[in-house]
Amino acid sequence: MGKKIEVSRRRFLQVAGATGAALAGSAFPFRNLKPAWAFGDHPQEQLPYRITKKIPQVCARACEADCAYNVVVGVDPATGVERAITLEGRPEDPVSNGKFCIKGMGFVDSMYDPDRLMVSLKRTNKNKGTDEDPGWVTMKTDDAVHEIIEGLKKFKPEEILMCSPGDPYTNRLCQSIGCTRADQRTECFGTHYYINCLTVTNPPNKVYSSCYTPSHHVCGYDYDNSKYQVWFGFDSFSKCGKAGMLNHWATGKRNGCKIVMFNPVKTPLMEGYASEYYAIKPGTDLAVALAMINVILKAGKYNASFIDKYSDAIALVDDKTKAGLKTEDGRFLSWCTKHNKAEAIDECDAPALDGGPFKVSIGGKQVSATPVMQILKEVVKTYTPEWAAKISEVPAKAIEKIALEFAAAGPYAMVPTYKRDAAGPNYANSWRLRHAINILNTLSGSIDHEGGILLLHDVKMPWIDELSPPVVPYPEQPAHPVDYRNQFPVTDNIYRRKDFSAPGHYGMVGWGLYKTNHTKAVFFRNPHRGLFSMIQSQMLEKSLDKIELVVDWNLYLDDLGYFCDYVIAAPHQFEGGKMDLRLYYPKYPCIVGGSAVQKPTGDQIGWGGFAAKIGLALAPKYWTTDGSGNPEKKIPTNMGDVAVKKMGIAEDAADFMKKGGFWIDKTPYQNYKQIKELSYGRPNGRVRMYIDEFVEVDHSPLPIWAPRWHESKGEYKFSLLVTRAPWHMHADPNFINNAVLKEVTIRNHMDAVWMNPEAGAALGLKEGDMVMLENDPKYMKDLPRPQKAKIHLTKRIDRKDCVLLFHGIGHRAKNLKVAANFGYRDGDLIPQKNPAIAKKHDPTGMGWVEDVFVSIKKIS
Amino acid sequence: MKEYAILLDETYCTGCNSCAYRCIQEFRYHDQAAKGLFRTFVQINDDGLYQKRCMHCLDPDCVANCPMKALTKSEYGPVLYNATLCVGCQTCVKMCKFHIPQYDADTRKIVKCSMCAHRGSEGKMPACVEVCPTGALEFGEYSEILEKAKNVAARNNLKIYGMKENGGTHLFVLAKNEPVQIGYPEVPAKDTKTASTGNGFTVPVMAAMAVGGFKKFSDRRAQIEAEEKDSKK
Repeated sequence: MGKKIEVSRRRFLQVAGATGAALAGSAFPFRNLKPAWAFGDHPQEQLPYRITKKIPQVCARACEADCAYNVVVGVDPATGVERAITLEGRPEDPVSNGKFCIKGMGFVDSMYDPDRLMVSLKRTNKNKGTDEDPGWVTMKTDDAVHEIIEGLKKFKPEEILMCSPGDPYTNRLCQSIGCTRADQRTECFGTHYYINCLTVTNPPNKVYSSCYTPSHHVCGYDYDNSKYQVWFGFDSFSKCGKAGMLNHWATGKRNGCKIVMFNPVKTPLMEGYASEYYAIKPGTDLAVALAMINVILKAGKYNASFIDKYSDAIALVDDKTKAGLKTEDGRFLSWCTKHNKAEAIDECDAPALDGGPFKVSIGGKQVSATPVMQILKEVVKTYTPEWAAKISEVPAKAIEKIALEFAAAGPYAMVPTYKRDAAGPNYANSWRLRHAINILNTLSGSIDHEGGILLLHDVKMPWIDELSPPVVPYPEQPAHPVDYRNQFPVTDNIYRRKDFSAPGHYGMVGWGLYKTNHTKAVFFRNPHRGLFSMIQSQMLEKSLDKIELVVDWNLYLDDLGYFCDYVIAAPHQFEGGKMDLRLYYPKYPCIVGGSAVQKPTGDQIGWGGFAAKIGLALAPKYWTTDGSGNPEKKIPTNMGDVAVKKMGIAEDAADFMKKGGFWIDKTPYQNYKQIKELSYGRPNGRVRMYIDEFVEVDHSPLPIWAPRWHESKGEYKFSLLVTRAPWHMHADPNFINNAVLKEVTIRNHMDAVWMNPEAGAALGLKEGDMVMLENDPKYMKDLPRPQKAKIHLTKRIDRKDCVLLFHGIGHRAKNLKVAANFGYRDGDLIPQKNPAIAKKHDPTGMGWVEDVFVSIKKIS
Repeated sequence: MKEYAILLDETYCTGCNSCAYRCIQEFRYHDQAAKGLFRTFVQINDDGLYQKRCMHCLDPDCVANCPMKALTKSEYGPVLYNATLCVGCQTCVKMCKFHIPQYDADTRKIVKCSMCAHRGSEGKMPACVEVCPTGALEFGEYSEILEKAKNVAARNNLKIYGMKENGGTHLFVLAKNEPVQIGYPEVPAKDTKTASTGNGFTVPVMAAMAVGGFKKFSDRRAQIEAEEKDSKK
């Protein structure tokens, strides 16, 4: 027995009180106090694998940001072999700031996807189709490439279609052969690219070929320092997963940026980042943007200094021809109120901003002319907030308030836009919205200014043509390309004469192949998106039956492969080196490099090598330095080596990687410097609001209201909105064929069609019901393919007049074990464009992927 | 030893699930995740984002009730799980008020967050925190994280989840809407456990609790010694 200890009540309280106070002070929780394991001994305190190396890489094709990171390689405990395990951020990268996303991590695992294509395939069954057995035979890739080249030799250049983004190799190949290049990938940037080319950057210029790199965009956005932003559908679900953007938006939020969002869908970005939100009626953002311009002009709240010095606001336009007036050497003219005559714009010290018309003498002729600003005022004068409210269902008072707040915050105010947000090629009127957005950014003075729109810096990656110019001019492009580019002179001129990388007219390729017979060979340089990430693939499927030679260069045998004669195995993006200019956030000149994580594990061929083989065989004089065609005199393609050598930062790419593969110049951004060199007019470039080129094709040179092309009628009353799960990229099997990401998709209902609960109830629908989505035959005249899908009733769809579909699912390739037959195919509901209709509504000829209404019927 | 906690500010989260995938790669549990067994996962619900993950309770029911002692509460925060001791009885699954431990019928083991205890010894933060593109997740010393949670909640008028639930946890969630409305389970408070969180308990109360605690500690020591004695027989 232990000795009994006598403790007085007073002593007990003293001891217990002191102990309690000490415990409270240490904040030590009141729980099981004895640790069961010494620190570090517990199995969960052991690293589950051994890291062996970290290899720098740069993301590609997962989004426009292209984050830099290290691929962490280790010994996998499950297999005992060395493999890439995960990623690690590079905090010095100004784009990613040390972050990366779920898709980047998906690339790590897709290197080991058992469904990856390791060999090249040749069809033996001439019957094509998803349900046909192609009778594949495997071939040595070299042999297959040889057969393809021999096959291509049988066709004339105008009979060949190259479906590929405009990378340096593709450009050289298509230009040297003289065949058409068209691609879906860049079409989703198309509206932005073309409107920017027509208003801000005037290609070709010193940075134009670099524009391809991040998103075919010619600028970045300084989200970190912006004070006020207006987002027209910019907060799509796909953006919820883009680390290269998210880290900047979070910084902007911490810095107190106010963001107004217009979107019929409530996204997590809206919940966390919007200061104000409006459930706008789909396809009517243009009305709000026009009303904002109206308010700013009426109140005189534009940035007068910017529009005077750096825009065409004071430039004169011929009232009769609607063309801008120029001096003989191409300078803008403005009306001098001091001298009462037209003068070269930079020489005029008292230009008229409005008023007129003025009588101007040009080459001995008298013309009546008016300043652009005056014309703009007249164009938008009826676009009042009240008018816009009736169309968009956004309150007039809100529009007025937002416009004035936006103007007051300039130049730290902007309307950002990329790709398929509302200002993308989503509606037939989206090009007008994009134009209106550039005018808003001009009025706030935010273009080429910190906290606003950042124009590209001077550092450039030379392309093949700069390393080795063609020995003779390239042949002319086909007069009647299958994508009907020639019927869109505004964009065709940019593609043929200024920037061959310019986005394609893929929304009409299917139409062209289906309705005409002059294309004999189609080559898909398919960055693993699958044919069926495209719009109305049924037209393309049907047409590929009659094409004599169809080739796909791909990481996977996806559903496109089932319509191909050859599928050539491509390496994974981590199996090659990279050099990137960090153009998503071009505030600082910066270069970052990447090294191969592993050698291709099968019989794959890289695109550069493949293109050079075709080029040497079909157009040898353009692929040899002296035009001899001698394979020993192949043109150099070491663009990375030249770039770093020219910059004086390394001897060559290998040396650059040895030094860490990173270089940045953090000199502060010089506001309004790049405008002078990149924009319109000489000697000092200016942003254009007035686009003469549109006049020539019977469209308005300034944005005017136009309703949607596709109308709601009867049961076809649900406006089809399209987005992507944050972890998917189009139909890319790198992600779609990932079993974990599939589970994440299912658990978040992103394999379903999202609908407002009240709208669903009105149709008698319950959560999880199966429905059929069908097009109005008036707008889908050829090969309709209704879609069967599961319904998810959610308040995130704020309106009853629309449904939200998730893009990228619905693969039909049987060999993709995870992706096959998962979900529906949104693209089947979006019609290919009749070029005659497209021309009437949109001079940029892009795809209008959301200008669709569908009916929804329960499947019993 | 320092004590750690995680702060999740839902107003910065976008539901990208980069945290979920980074966690999977850290622990190489792709097969389990493909079956829906995640250690951490963001569910995009109608009224907000529900991040389902172990709350690392101050006084975890799973630890208290695990018959095999496969679950233990570390003194620096995380509730750790030793799969080699687990027999798959699923008591923890039944006891956890947050519905966190998930049973993998194929392996007969549990799937649950460890707060990346293995990274702590290298001075690294948990993988999910490190990867979060917006900084919605933060990791730090318990007292500092708690203080920050209170300050941010007060400044931005946000609700706090994890401070009172089940007596307090090592994960604090800040949300605009009521957490229960977003999807977080409704878990009753345990008054005794809030004592350590500095919520205004007086010294006599602390003292009384300390005595009770010592008794519990003493009982547990006795129990362990008895078990050790038995095992040596």
